[in-house]
Amino acid sequence: MPLISIQSLSFTYPGSSTQALSDINLSLEPGEYLAIVGANGSGKSTLIRCLNGLLVPPPGTVSVDGFDPAEAAGRIGARKALSLVFQSPPDQIVASIVEEDVAFGLENLGVPYDEMHERVDQALGAVDLLAERHRSPRFLSSGQQQRLAVAGALAMRPRIVAFDEATSMIDPNGRAAILRLMDALVARGITVIHVTHDMDEAARARRIVVLSGGHPVFSGTPDRLFASDMLARYRLERPQSYDAALRIGIEPMMGEDAAALGQRAAAARGQDIRAVIRGLYPVTGPAQAADPGGIAFSVRDASMSYSSGTPGDRPAVQRATIDIPAGSLVALVGKTGAGKSSFLQLLDALAIPDSGTVVSLGRATGDRLADLRALRMRAPLAVQRPESAIFEAYVGDEAAFGPRNQGLRGSRLVARVRAALDAAGLPFDAYRDALTRTLSGGMKRRLALASILSLDPEALLLDEPTSALDPATRREVLALIQTYAMQGRTVVMSTHSMDEAALADMVVVMREGAIVASGTPDAVFGTGWDESWGIGRPFAWALAAAAEDALSMEVVR
Amino acid sequence: MKGIEFFRNVSIGRYVDVDSPVHRLTPVAKYLWLLAIIIPVSISGSTTVVLASSIVALACTMLARVRVGFLLRGFVPVLPLFGIAAVFQAIFSWPGDTSAVLVAIGPVSLSLRELLAIASMGLRFVAMMLAIGLFTSVTTEGDTARGVEDLFAPLARLGFPARGFALTIAVAFRFIPIVAGEFESVVKAQAARGADFGAGARGPIRKARAYVPLLVPVTIRALERAEALGEAMEARCYGVGPATRFVRSVGGYVDTMARIGAVTYLVMALASPSLLGWR
Repeated sequence: MPLISIQSLSFTYPGSSTQALSDINLSLEPGEYLAIVGANGSGKSTLIRCLNGLLVPPPGTVSVDGFDPAEAAGRIGARKALSLVFQSPPDQIVASIVEEDVAFGLENLGVPYDEMHERVDQALGAVDLLAERHRSPRFLSSGQQQRLAVAGALAMRPRIVAFDEATSMIDPNGRAAILRLMDALVARGITVIHVTHDMDEAARARRIVVLSGGHPVFSGTPDRLFASDMLARYRLERPQSYDAALRIGIEPMMGEDAAALGQRAAAARGQDIRAVIRGLYPVTGPAQAADPGGIAFSVRDASMSYSSGTPGDRPAVQRATIDIPAGSLVALVGKTGAGKSSFLQLLDALAIPDSGTVVSLGRATGDRLADLRALRMRAPLAVQRPESAIFEAYVGDEAAFGPRNQGLRGSRLVARVRAALDAAGLPFDAYRDALTRTLSGGMKRRLALASILSLDPEALLLDEPTSALDPATRREVLALIQTYAMQGRTVVMSTHSMDEAALADMVVVMREGAIVASGTPDAVFGTGWDESWGIGRPFAWALAAAAEDALSMEVVR
Repeated sequence: MKGIEFFRNVSIGRYVDVDSPVHRLTPVAKYLWLLAIIIPVSISGSTTVVLASSIVALACTMLARVRVGFLLRGFVPVLPLFGIAAVFQAIFSWPGDTSAVLVAIGPVSLSLRELLAIASMGLRFVAMMLAIGLFTSVTTEGDTARGVEDLFAPLARLGFPARGFALTIAVAFRFIPIVAGEFESVVKAQAARGADFGAGARGPIRKARAYVPLLVPVTIRALERAEALGEAMEARCYGVGPATRFVRSVGGYVDTMARIGAVTYLVMALASPSLLGWR
């Protein structure tokens, strides 16, 4: 009997007229590794929630470890058998101490004291958090917080662990740790279900299910999916290494990373591989060598800390010095907590340095006479998940908030809003009277960006503008940013995706609040590369470096 | 940092992580002593009892190795309130006050009895700040919640949701920094679009309206995060049956004595003025 069996499952949210899931049939054996992919809003999270009764499926359609989550008693059984790790790390922490949080589920199950302590120890050991056990989860990095969530799941000794986009809000290192944990679980015979937008992650699974509009349109091995021609139709893409292998002319291997592929490619193509990789990923020089616009942001020895002057003083930016040329697209990279968000706030004058100076568009932000409000509108910041700040009922009003604050009225206001919404891919005529709350996640992100573009700013500051978007929406948002930058305006954006960073004119690397490197992508990720930054390398550079290593090993032999 | 910053790292109280006999008490014993000091200080009419309770609070503070100044800093925000109350004491005379007049400025005079009343009020304030400050200095967030569960444990047998009640408190603690963080993020998002909050007096309605761009998204985000946390708790089998506990709050002999001591002190403090005729 399968561990999970789903038969003709359809689900409609109360009050909705459209089905969120329709006619899903699926079965999973113990020890399977399944990835579920699909665009934003395709029903992935809904499906996962039907498995443990967070959403109640129609009776008789779902069986998890023999329990039907449609019934009250079955729900408990299903929840014991299937643990769920959610997307947002801090939103699943209940207790104020790490080990107590791991114990939360066990307390609820009424596990005896001694056994509970033993299980908590084991779970913390499995995710390598024993050293943090007595700390407050608040002070863990988001990657550590997500490992804590996995520990909480493992302590329940489940037969299945489902990850609902659990890697989408953490940095590359944290992400790699979670992926390794998934492999370890599968090796222990635990079934893993991984809901993800990332095709490289999905390719690690043994089976992939593609959902589109709540309906499964594919179920099979990653090989079959990526060899098929259905990807574009469902807004998916090939994993990078798979794609690169095809272009290099060798057999693609599933779940392979850039390093492994580089070695294989070097072995297959020998010395030629250098030219091949260079041909596939041409290194472009800086867009503007002469930088005619001068300097947009000039930061000199700037430091700032949160809660400064109190015992809780936390340095965020330390003695940063950099000039950002006007008209350039700058990518800000670094681990979670490296100070990227704080640095962007310094540029936007939302934060004023405790020492040193920041000159934004010609005005020193520390100058008491500077009109910070006007300055912020010339170089506005889109905070992380900017859609969470949407407050107007109608799309048009939301986009008009900024220009109204600039004093625009009447036809000039309308023209501004029209241009911004059109540019953001929400055509004015179709969307001006749309209700903001009915927009999908990707559209809300566009609206948030449109509400900043409508200020007609000279520079844009974007804090992780592409986080938690599906691949297609991510590409569209990036294209929007690039188009804007191409008009000769300055963009500074933080990102956890090094492949996005590689598209910039300039990359700035931060570590522990300090700027540790800056330059063209090739300078930073190529010659100047340093492992200790704690970030990944863009695929092309990782591939080239691995091939180079393999070639030099060959020479030694 | 200058600029826009909220209390992202706020925590209720300021736990002082040292080892002391007071820290080692169970949360229940700490709660009992908190009540044993606060109740008489608030309701007793006897200056002697107030003074005694202040001394007890001070003694506990010393025993806990927490600096008195650190605790009394919490007193600063209430000082204006205290000042107003003191002025009122001086302006309005007690009926039948025959005590000596110490100072008189025009029609306003300060008698000995009024001075004593002001001093006793000050003492009440200080004792209360000490007791509350001390409690939060020696009790972690987790213990604060668990203590409630333990205190109500006898009622739990009658069906009182003691664990649910304690968890509510724990989650409230968790949410303070979360909501503060959301608030900060939304303020920054709107400030970047030119919203100005409370800049310049432009009439109460316009001022209030300036906060609409904040309240709507902050409320929605707080509810969304509450829902996410609720789902996470449910997925981890919250409420499926009788629960056990990871942290045991069992005290030894000292703890039992401390509990008995607290109850005894409370009874004595409330009963002795009428029994012994104290004032």
